[in-house]
Amino acid sequence: MTIADDIAVPPAPATTKSRAFPTQRVLLGLLSAFVVIFCVLPFILVLAISFGRKIEGAAWVWDFTLENYQRFFVGILWPDEITFLYLQQLGYSFYFAVIASLLAVLTALPFTLLLTRLKRASQAIWLVFILSSLSLSEVFIVMGWDILLSNNSGLPKVFKETGLTAWLKDVGWFQTLRDWGLANPRNVKFKTSDFATILTMSYLVWPYAVILLYPALSRLDPSLSEAARTMGAGRWTVTRTVTLPSIRLPLFGTSLLLFVFLLGSYVAITVFAAPNKHTTAVAIYANIRGSNLNAPFGSTQAIMLLISASVCLYLGHLFNNRAQAR
Amino acid sequence: MRAFGVIYMGLAALVLAMPIVVVCGAALNSGRSRFFPPVDPTLMRFGEFFISEPVWTNALWNSVIVAIGAATLAVLLAWPIAYLLWSTGSKLSKTLAGLGSLPFAVPPIVFGVGLGFFWAFNGGLGEVWAGVISHAILLMALPMVTISIGLQSIDRSHLDAAATMGATEQVAFRTVVLPQTVPYTISGFFFVLVLSFNEFIVIFFVSASSYATVTLQIFNSLRNGYTPTMAVAAITFLTVSIVVFSAVARWGDLPRLMGADQSRN
Repeated sequence: MTIADDIAVPPAPATTKSRAFPTQRVLLGLLSAFVVIFCVLPFILVLAISFGRKIEGAAWVWDFTLENYQRFFVGILWPDEITFLYLQQLGYSFYFAVIASLLAVLTALPFTLLLTRLKRASQAIWLVFILSSLSLSEVFIVMGWDILLSNNSGLPKVFKETGLTAWLKDVGWFQTLRDWGLANPRNVKFKTSDFATILTMSYLVWPYAVILLYPALSRLDPSLSEAARTMGAGRWTVTRTVTLPSIRLPLFGTSLLLFVFLLGSYVAITVFAAPNKHTTAVAIYANIRGSNLNAPFGSTQAIMLLISASVCLYLGHLFNNRAQAR
Repeated sequence: MRAFGVIYMGLAALVLAMPIVVVCGAALNSGRSRFFPPVDPTLMRFGEFFISEPVWTNALWNSVIVAIGAATLAVLLAWPIAYLLWSTGSKLSKTLAGLGSLPFAVPPIVFGVGLGFFWAFNGGLGEVWAGVISHAILLMALPMVTISIGLQSIDRSHLDAAATMGATEQVAFRTVVLPQTVPYTISGFFFVLVLSFNEFIVIFFVSASSYATVTLQIFNSLRNGYTPTMAVAAITFLTVSIVVFSAVARWGDLPRLMGADQSRN
């Protein structure tokens, strides 16, 4: 880099170097070994066990069979009968994750934009609030929404007490809510429903959306939009033609990351989603720790989830590169 | 338009706060119920959570051990990797950093399943120390990022100056690099601490039901029936998070850590 750099490195006396060198080497080796063992080996184990075989009434054995994968795609009774139950579960994983991540990013975007325009000190206060809610466990958040959405407390009760339910019935919208599965004959209900699931999942990643969008938005050059404004562009036009195009990539990247994160969400789905809409993550748990006790098939599902996530990330990466090249 | 902005931010804050407020409020209930607003408010639950109910005090103790252990270990692992990455930029250091962030980047349930098998093979399944290592590995990516940000903020000319004045690499490290990265290291430590405290799915697989942290205990209670003590746990966690992040904001530069532009204030 500079001349000083060249001076800095070589003059280390040979004696200290030869003494220090092996320790550094050993430490580096240990560190690498540690990282490989703990960060990589677990994934390899999952992959290896996904080819294993379950023994009826016992645990499982190592093997190399593709039965589990076959079961994942066409069901256990194939070729006599074909079912897409497991693909459907993966489909629900995608369904919930896509909608929830998009909802989170679209609502977080205006918020973050407003946030970056505040004074530095107020930004820090908001960030503390957002980080606190971000770090709050999935379990607490689900518990909070569980209270808010369950029938005896929370919103349905509020609807009833305030006469909103009666009003909805008068107007005729109540029937629409019933069609959507958001009401029983007497009152609105949110458990179990797609609405509650998506709301909670979206809430879960909303702070992440803000944190991920924040760097890009805080680097937006205000002079650009100011210039556009001076030239007579309306606020909406500026947003559409200057701001949005310049944050297209972070916006896309954020949605993708949140989507991948949500693919594996477990607690919100078990509590809020209807049992026939349970996702692969729930099935993985049921196979590995829960009632089914079929570790190899659980691993297969985990691998399929991992592959889906990787494919999405890879496609996103390709898209990103192409967009940047342009 | 300005008013609209204020309203939007206020609304976002309201929705963000709503479930949290409800959980906290529910802690004051006296019966085994979860009404909001609380019926017959009492502070008894706090005593149960911190002192008298062994189920909760054990869980709290496990959570504290796992979080502090994991945060320490994660920082110790992340430091050399971030330092190598910054000082050499070698292929090995990039590989290590990439592999080190892998567990954090994939859906956590997959890593949880993998660790479950891993510990089952070497006897760590259901041991608290295995939980500590698992969380350290999972969250190592965070101090790696904060420490890297800190290292990048060091003016290389300071190092050149130190070298010109005859400081060896070790001395320069001790006198220039270390002091300037301390706030970032501490931030990384706290990020791991808080996230480990709140992590659920990995510890769920790794603990194998032989011990419970507070989040696990809450999940069990969520399924088996509600006790307001759960809500006390939530309040405790929230308080810890707010205190920790406020400290980071007070003594570190939170907007910068979150990637804000330096040149503007």
